[in-house]
Amino acid sequence: MKKNTLHTFLTYTTLAFLTVSTLTSCEDVVDLDVKSGAPQLVVDGWVTNQQTSQTIRLTESAGYFDNSQAKPVLNATVTVTDDKGGVFSFVDLKKDGNYVWKPVAVSDTIGRVGRTYTLRIKMGTEEYTAVSKLNRVPKIDSVTYFFDKLPIAPADDAPQEGYTAEFFARDPTGAGDCYWIKSYKNGKYFNKTTEITIAYDAAFSPGANSDGLRFILPIRRAISPEFYKEKDTVKVELYSIPLEGYYFLNQVRTESSNQGLFATAPSNIYSNVKNTNPTGRKALGFFGAAAVSTFTEVIDAKKAKPKDGN
Amino acid sequence: MKHIFSILLWLGMATWAYSQEKRTISGYIKDASNGESLIGVSVYVREIGNGTVTNDYGYYALNLPTGVSYTLVFNYIGYEKVEKKVTLTDDLKLSIELKDESVKLQEVIVKTTKEDENVKNIEMSVNKVEMKTIRQMPALLGEVDLVRSIQLLPGVTSVGEGASGFNVRGGNIDQNLVLLDEAPVFNASHLFGFFSVFNPDAVKDVKLVKGGIPAQYGGRISSILDVRLKEGNAKKREINGGIGTIFSRLSYEQPFAKSKGSFIVAGRRSYIDVLAKPFLNGDLKNSRFYFYDLTAKANYRIDDKNTVFASGYFGRDVFGADFGFEWGNRTATVRWNHVFNNKLFMNATAFYSDYDYGLESDRNNKNKSGDKFKWNSSITTWSMKPDFTYYLTPNNTVTFGGQYINYSTKPGTATAISSGEERNISLDPRYADESALYIGNDQKVTDWLSFQYGIRYSYFRNLGPGTAYEFLEVVKGDRKLPVSEKKYESGVINTYGNWEPRFSTKIELNPSTSIKASYNRTAQYLHLLSNTAASSPLDVWTLSSKIIKPQLADQVALGWFQNFQENMYEASLEVYYKKLQNQIDYVANSDLLLNSYLEGDLLFGNGRAYGAEVYVKKNRGKLTGWLSYTLARTERKIEGINNDNWFPARFDKTHNLSTVVLYQLNDRLSFSANFAFNTGTPATFPTNRFEWGGWTLPQNVDNSRNAARIPSYHRLDLGATLKSKKKLFGKGQGEWVLSIYNVYNRRNPFSMYVRQNEDNNLKTEAVRYAVIGSVVPAITYNFKF
Repeated sequence: MKKNTLHTFLTYTTLAFLTVSTLTSCEDVVDLDVKSGAPQLVVDGWVTNQQTSQTIRLTESAGYFDNSQAKPVLNATVTVTDDKGGVFSFVDLKKDGNYVWKPVAVSDTIGRVGRTYTLRIKMGTEEYTAVSKLNRVPKIDSVTYFFDKLPIAPADDAPQEGYTAEFFARDPTGAGDCYWIKSYKNGKYFNKTTEITIAYDAAFSPGANSDGLRFILPIRRAISPEFYKEKDTVKVELYSIPLEGYYFLNQVRTESSNQGLFATAPSNIYSNVKNTNPTGRKALGFFGAAAVSTFTEVIDAKKAKPKDGN
Repeated sequence: MKHIFSILLWLGMATWAYSQEKRTISGYIKDASNGESLIGVSVYVREIGNGTVTNDYGYYALNLPTGVSYTLVFNYIGYEKVEKKVTLTDDLKLSIELKDESVKLQEVIVKTTKEDENVKNIEMSVNKVEMKTIRQMPALLGEVDLVRSIQLLPGVTSVGEGASGFNVRGGNIDQNLVLLDEAPVFNASHLFGFFSVFNPDAVKDVKLVKGGIPAQYGGRISSILDVRLKEGNAKKREINGGIGTIFSRLSYEQPFAKSKGSFIVAGRRSYIDVLAKPFLNGDLKNSRFYFYDLTAKANYRIDDKNTVFASGYFGRDVFGADFGFEWGNRTATVRWNHVFNNKLFMNATAFYSDYDYGLESDRNNKNKSGDKFKWNSSITTWSMKPDFTYYLTPNNTVTFGGQYINYSTKPGTATAISSGEERNISLDPRYADESALYIGNDQKVTDWLSFQYGIRYSYFRNLGPGTAYEFLEVVKGDRKLPVSEKKYESGVINTYGNWEPRFSTKIELNPSTSIKASYNRTAQYLHLLSNTAASSPLDVWTLSSKIIKPQLADQVALGWFQNFQENMYEASLEVYYKKLQNQIDYVANSDLLLNSYLEGDLLFGNGRAYGAEVYVKKNRGKLTGWLSYTLARTERKIEGINNDNWFPARFDKTHNLSTVVLYQLNDRLSFSANFAFNTGTPATFPTNRFEWGGWTLPQNVDNSRNAARIPSYHRLDLGATLKSKKKLFGKGQGEWVLSIYNVYNRRNPFSMYVRQNEDNNLKTEAVRYAVIGSVVPAITYNFKF
């Protein structure tokens, strides 16, 4: 709860700042000389209960200001096993570091709620593993929207008025469910790190004691980082993620927008990928298992709810 | 403990036993213009080449052999010197009023006084700034600010412009005991740190003690910022006020009961919201953004032996519209000065102080089935504190006393409503108390050698009801997991006790040169947990517990004090070394708010700070001011951070130079200038990047902390004050104050950080962030009746 509250409060304060004083804080892009370190394996992938192909991307890390696409890791052996004896092979079909598993039959899926998945990556003499449990996910009941207008025009060219959408779902009873909420406007994923929305039970963090509640308002409305227009398609994906995934994404969000007066001390982002040789080169990134609920709605002015209609 | 007390007493008694019959000269020293008592006035007895200074209440006492004539010289910077000849036959009351010297500023006064505080006083590592000076210095947005002025003194830094609080000799901001008439102020900032809560119209005297901390002070380990309020004009009614860019101010002072008492009431409020109101519409209509404070003090002199004081502060910052956020401090102090006899002076203090904040979402939503979030946090303390000064002999002044402080904190009281379902997500309140006893002696061994020594014993108890948690460390430097909890319904949960020895010495080499040295140990049981660069008003003051051990500091300091040209210039060079124990840091992704298992997110370690401070001050003439330079290093060593190696603290600045120049052109016009230069603060930058989820993320292969630095900081401010020629309404006085902050428009970095480009996730860039990125001119009008 507090992360978003903090965010809102900072927004208001910024507003207060601007009005209260002539102080002009400013940000300038500058040159910075940093020494780069040795590259490491980066793992990026999920296995889900969806009936689609699944991809695990293997790349190498590079110097911080090396502004090119990450170098793919080729010729690795990638397998995922579950705790019920299932074995799934991932193959780099296009030789671009994207290791893919394809369902043979339409009903084929890797993910089953309650199972634990182990990723194994063999690269030459080194072997990496990561373990993740696939947790339950509630269904999304509905997506509603209302017309709204901002008092002042947003800084980037985003629209000043339009529809704010919110999704309704209820966290199942039993504390400790973690979620990642992804949203799309007309198929375009809201991909900024500041738009990462994660939940612990029905609120933002473990301290919030929100088990079994309907997702709280700021999470419900997080699917509207900007306004939707008439006829826009709103798509919401609710991922059940493991606790480590919650911490990982929380850190991704913090470390990629760690700025201003209230920045925290930068720290390295946690990874659940381990080298089987404890003294070997460490890996980066995250491998997770998730169950996914989705909901799609097209904005129709006639169906809009009144503002603050709850 | 017993031994030390007896040694102290013995040392005192020994000198006493050999003395002849003696009587005491004592009294109060006040400002002739308004009756304010003056602190630290030198009272020098020419015949014995020795003397004393007035205490925090303007009181002094001298115990001298009878039957002899003495010449008493009363001297205080900025005031005319007064000499009194007395023949001592019996106890004598001698209260003096000193006249402000600036009245006859046009004459160039060359003094031939031998005594001078900088050299003569045993105090070291202490900076006093006269309010008169602070008022004249150019200020950000024209708002005279005490904490900003303090930052121009040697040994004082901050994490950067706009950050609340200040760092003294390598201490965190929570290691400063900020006292407003003896009551601690928990958050001394308005507007997230831009302005301090002290109304300059109500403040009389400011003293910053960075080292050689006397035994009567305790509770914080790095410094004491002792702010004393004006008592109110005891001679006539006085009204001060002003309109600045941020605040409008008004204060009222008046004597009462035939000048036996006086009071002051001073208030300030930001007023931009009033001006902006007509322009706000829609959701902004209900916007609230203002801050204010009210400061008041009254004193009443019952008789020669009894004076009572009452003072209080109340301030609040209020922001938001549909979402509300507010915070503020309240303090109340009652004091009783009692002269038991000519030798024994007592000040008994009782104070109350609290700090609280509240956040509330959906304030306009009156719908019961709706969504809402409400969160409050507070810390409340009250304390009793008797302090005694015993003027044993002219060469021994014994101070002793004690303090009891009661704490109750509500780290978070919160409710959340989602679609009409309400949840209480509050944390348990916590209770504790802290007791202390101390005794100290100021001993003049010879004309040239003095000692000040003492000891303080502090004792802390966590009190029930409460819960004590135990944690398990899985990976060093990572979040520790709770493994057990024990509930206490009442009684004592946990205790800590610490001996805190204090020692200072002064060796006078000649009348204008002295060497001073000091050692002190200090203990702290209350900690402000803050994992952000600048402390935010949401940070929670947290009590020591089984897990959070008391912070301890040991500091040694050595200094050379020199005055030049008949005390026109005073200079000092000090070196210090400070060792800090049980310092607090945080795991990555630490969650410090509304977290029952907060203690699992804390890391502990040690700190060290060392440096050299140079301070040169010009006290008199048309041109006054100072130059301060600090060469320093502040480091922390925390298990799990920076591979367990030492790393520089966020506010470490190698070079820190400040100059303040005030120039009085004539009776009406004066100019001022500040210049500051600091080494850039430390920063952590990534070495590598990696792609995940379509984002480009930073990584530091060395896992280091604060290995780099941001560019250096420098800034020039100018100011001018013009007093109006005409009397305001026939009797008052008006003045215009012009200030220009950051004259050459430098974008001084507060921090530098990296990010992925907003439009292209593959592109990474470094960003320099400046809190104040331009020149800030301001004009203020002040008046006085």
